[in-house]
Parts: sequence; structure tokens; C-alpha cells
Amino acid sequence: MKKFFLFVGLFFASSFLNAKINIVTASMDLKSIAEFVGGDKVSVESISEGAQDLHFVEPRPSMVMKIKKADMVLKIGLDLDMWMDSLISASRNKKVGYGEVGFVDCSKGIERLEVPQGKIDGSMGDIHLYGNPHYWLDPLNGKIIAKNILDGLIRISPENKDYFKKNYDDFCKKIDEKMKIWQAQMEKLSGKSIITYHRSWSYFAKRFNLKVPIEIEPKPGIPPNPSHILKIIDTIKKENIKIILVDNFYPLKAVNKIASDTGVKVVVVPSNVGGEKDVKDYFELFDYIISKLTKE
Amino acid sequence: MKKILVLVLLMIASLNILNAQNDQTNIMTDSTPLPGMRGKPINLPDVSAIGNIVGYTSDNKKDKNRNDLLLNEVETAFQGYVYPDVRADIILAIHKHDEEYESEICEAKINFQNLGYGFSGEAGKIHIDFGKVNKLHTHHLPFTDRPLVLNKFLGEHELAGQGATLKYLIPIFPFYSQIQAGFWKINAHHHAHTETKVRDIDGSTVTVEALIHDDTAFSPADKVYNFRWNSSFNLGNKKELEIGFSGLKGRGAHYEEHKDNVEVAGADITFKWFPSSYEKWTFQNEWIHLKREVPVGKLNRDGFYSFINYRANKYWDYGLRFDYSENAFPKISYERALSAIITKHLTETTYWRFTAKHRNIDGKKVTEGWFQLSFGIGPHSHELE
Repeated sequence: MKKFFLFVGLFFASSFLNAKINIVTASMDLKSIAEFVGGDKVSVESISEGAQDLHFVEPRPSMVMKIKKADMVLKIGLDLDMWMDSLISASRNKKVGYGEVGFVDCSKGIERLEVPQGKIDGSMGDIHLYGNPHYWLDPLNGKIIAKNILDGLIRISPENKDYFKKNYDDFCKKIDEKMKIWQAQMEKLSGKSIITYHRSWSYFAKRFNLKVPIEIEPKPGIPPNPSHILKIIDTIKKENIKIILVDNFYPLKAVNKIASDTGVKVVVVPSNVGGEKDVKDYFELFDYIISKLTKE
Repeated sequence: MKKILVLVLLMIASLNILNAQNDQTNIMTDSTPLPGMRGKPINLPDVSAIGNIVGYTSDNKKDKNRNDLLLNEVETAFQGYVYPDVRADIILAIHKHDEEYESEICEAKINFQNLGYGFSGEAGKIHIDFGKVNKLHTHHLPFTDRPLVLNKFLGEHELAGQGATLKYLIPIFPFYSQIQAGFWKINAHHHAHTETKVRDIDGSTVTVEALIHDDTAFSPADKVYNFRWNSSFNLGNKKELEIGFSGLKGRGAHYEEHKDNVEVAGADITFKWFPSSYEKWTFQNEWIHLKREVPVGKLNRDGFYSFINYRANKYWDYGLRFDYSENAFPKISYERALSAIITKHLTETTYWRFTAKHRNIDGKKVTEGWFQLSFGIGPHSHELE
């Protein structure tokens, strides 16, 4: 009988000791980075899927249960994933509440672009109060995201600090190595103008020295109208623009019309990990985008 | 000369410091504030307003609201945190009721988001969590008018009470499951009065107010108790099934006259499917049973609606709703309606909507058309619904 209790006790103790840190992320990109930093000590789930417009994720009760069981949540922040707030609130999981140990806003430390100045209202379109939230599309911001995740993991599991720190260092090293390759590949587009559907690519464009003189959307979140399409066609001709870059969930009707009128190349790419089946992690996301952009 | 050089160098240095500070301003130094914290720097709540303009037409020439385009409701919200995990929402509305505009506290509640051990609670004046629709504010509905069965059994506006509710998220199931119970004091809606002259006991003529009975309006009121259990199942492949059961016990809105005790039971089932980033199918069904005990006997009445909606893309929704409901009065009547609904979304809180509705009220057929324009300004948020 004693042996039985000893066995049961050991079983529970070992399962407790081997328990992984449950992380729930707003996006697949954060999931990928969390897996790099957390290694085999974390189990990560994303609320959104790869080919999903992160502005339009509908929070559902079944998602609440993921957060209920989480030790840590990773938010994109900058008002892109406000749907996470209602899920966190509904989960009643104190550990991951705003400002708690398991709450990580990955936008902390990001140098934001397009922060609106002065009065903000609907006439400006779907503008984000705290600036453009698509910051993960600059690979170097991946290091800031990873640092936020590292800090969160150390808060939760200080005994594994060295392990997480090593993973973080490896991740940053790999980013630096890949950046050299990506920069070399993007060199031929450096200084050139492209058109994007939404302002999703501002951070990417800044990092790789691309100019975006106009977007397909006249204002963020506002669909293109005929006069704006004419303006785009005019800009393409004047500035000799060769590429329209579109996230793979946006409608292509207006884009194809512009392409057929001007001969511009339409490059449709995922803006999140998992948006295409070949894009399984954060590095493959940029491999994919850059290979598509630079393909002749 | 030296002084000038030093001055110039100091100026350049100070300009550099200022520039450096400007560069710093765009670096996010803290977590993004939650909804309800938008006024954080100046300690103000989030303030927003939602307007609802409705145009209505009907082939019933006796309908006095026919061919009107009116501002039906303006909702103003003040929302903010008063303590960690404690949020306050004050929602005031001016809406049209019986041809006149009335101001009303729509909701004024304090929400204890985390009481520990899976509990949360709300207190104040609150839309009672009964079924899928009663909790929702007008601008949040996927249709212009509320389903018939809700109007007939819960009243023409959202059933709101003053009281408190306690919610519990059941931790032992692998799926989402929440139970809640609440107790409320509900005031009956005001009804129109008229003046009439009567002869007093001393023979003089006096003017008194007389209540105009509106036999089409019924709602639970007075002391009301409610419960709700709702669960949600992830069926995989972007499909979700939500099931709920609701119950409510109280009195009728005119208990002094009718002496009626009321019990309402409801069941709802909703299937959602998200085939792509923007596409969404919703199939929502809600059945409600009313038991009204009056001195002369018991009335048992039923009603339901079925709503199917397809969101084709970011901007367009197409829906069909079938309504069936009996009335809440001793002389039974039946009404069926079929509505076709098209919605164009401009932003999250701004949209326009067309509804064509064909009604059959005890065999009398009426066709109605609705145009709705809902618009929002300022940060406006609701909890998970």
C-alpha cells in the first residue's frame, strides 16, 4: 500500500516538475517567437490563425478557456488586438490580467511609426491611437518582442532564467545573421517605391528602405473608390512603380484592376506566420515575403 | 567671442537633447492601455456616443409612424476602471417611446471582473442576461428590430433591472461553461396618461389622470430572479456551437391590476462558422416560453426566432430572420414575420442597414421596410457577448 502511495506521489510530483508554462498569444508571430525563447519549457497556443486579419478577430467563448488555463498571455498591443482584453477579462485568470506577472504586451519598447498627432476621429479612417501596430514586420523588432517574452518568462520561472536567456541570445543571433541575407536580397529594391494595400508594411518598408507613396486604401480600413484608384494609377505611372504588396486576406478586385491597367506586379504574401503552409516560423515569414518580392 | 561660442555650443547641445527627447516619444514605454483607460493621461473615462436613425415605411395606411425617418435613440457611454479588475460603465440613452423622447439610464453598473475562484459579478442597473439578445444594446444587434418573442414576453426595450448578478466560470469542463444568477427590482415602463373629468363626492367636477391601458405591452417587473447557463463548444475547423438556457421569475408590469405572477424559460442554440478571414455564417435560434398566472387561470405562451446570417466580407452582411410569437394576454393572438436584412459596415460602430419585413398578424398581412443608420463616435466597448 505504501508503495502505491509513493508511486502516486512521485507521479504527481514529476508531472508538476515537468509542467510546461502555458502561453497563449494573440498572433502566430508571437507564438513562433515565444517557442524560440521558451524552448521545450513552454507550450504555446495562438488565438488567431495565420491568414487572418488581426483587426477582425471575433472573440468567442471557446477562446476564453485557452486563456483560463494560461500562465502567460502575449498581446500585440497598440490597439490591434483589443479583442484579447475581453477574453482575458472573461477568463477571470488573475495571473494574466493587465499588469500582472503573466501579462506581456509585446509592443513595449517598440519605436512606433505613424503615431497620430492632434485630434483623432473617424475622418482619418480606422486609425490606431498609439501608432501603427504592424511592428512585427520589421525583423529587428522581433528582437524587442523576444526581449519582452524573455522578461515575462523570467518573471514566471526565474529558475530557468539561464535557459531562456540562451534561447533569446540564439534567436537574436539568428535574426542578425538572417538580416544580412535579407538585406542583400532586398538591395535591388532599396530606395524604390512600392504600393501596399493597407499600412501593414510601414515597418518592413522602413527597415528595407522602400518608399510607400500611396496605399490601395485611401485611409486605413476604408475601401478604395474609383477616384482613388485613378490616383493610384497616376502615381504608378509618375513614379514608375513596379510592385503592389498585398496581405493575403485582402480582396484583390481593385488591385487586379490597377494591375491590368498599368502592368504592375501584384505580390500577395502572408503578413503572419502560418499565413501560408510554407511559413512555419518567424524566419520563414521573411524568407517567403522577400523571395516573393525579389522574384523576377 | 568665447562667450558666443559657448552659447552657440550650448544651444546646439540643447537642441540635440530636445531632438533626442522627440525621438524617444514614439517608443512605447508601457503596455497599451485597455479599453476604459483611454483617458488615462488626464484621468477621464472613455466617453462615446452612438446614434441610431431609423426610417420606417409600411403598406398599412393606418400606421401613424409610416414614412417617418427619425432619430430613434442616442446612447452615451462613460466607461472606465475604478479599481484593478473593477470597471464601471454608465450608459445613458435618449430614446423614442410612445411618440416622445425619454431620457433613461440604460445601464449603470459596476463590474467586478475577477472575484477569485472563477467568480465575477455585476451590480447596478443592468440589461438582464436572458438568452442571446436581451443583453445587447440596440446598435449591437444584427437586425433593426428586436425579435417578436422578446418584445412580447420581455417588453419593447431591453429588460433591465436594478440589482446584482453573480457569474461562475465552471473550471472542471474542457469547454466554456458559465452559470449565473441574479436578483432585480424592475420598474414598469411608464405608460401614457390622459385627463378626464369626473364628479366628486360633493357634486363638483374635478379633473383626474387616467391610465391608458396598452394591451399590446407586457413585461416582467417588480422583484425578478433570473439564472442563465451557457456553454460553448469548439467544433474544430473554425466552427463553434453555443448553447444556453435561461429562466426568470417575477411579476407582471401591472401587478396591482392584473395580479399576475410570471415565469419565463428560454433556450438558445447558435452555430458559427468562419470559413475565411472575413466570411462568417451564423445560425442563431432562440425559443422562449412564458407562463403567466392570473387570478382566472394560467396562460402558457410560446415564441421563437431563427436567424441565419452570412458575412460575405469586411463590409457586407446578409441575413434572414423568421419570427413566431403568441401574445402574453388572455385572448391569444399569433404573429409570424419574415425579415430580409442587408447591412453595410463602415466601421465597427457605424453601419447602415435595410430590412424588408412581411408580417402575418392573425391572418392580417403587413409589409414593412426599415432603413437604419447607426453611427458611433469615441471609444466604445462592451464585454464579451
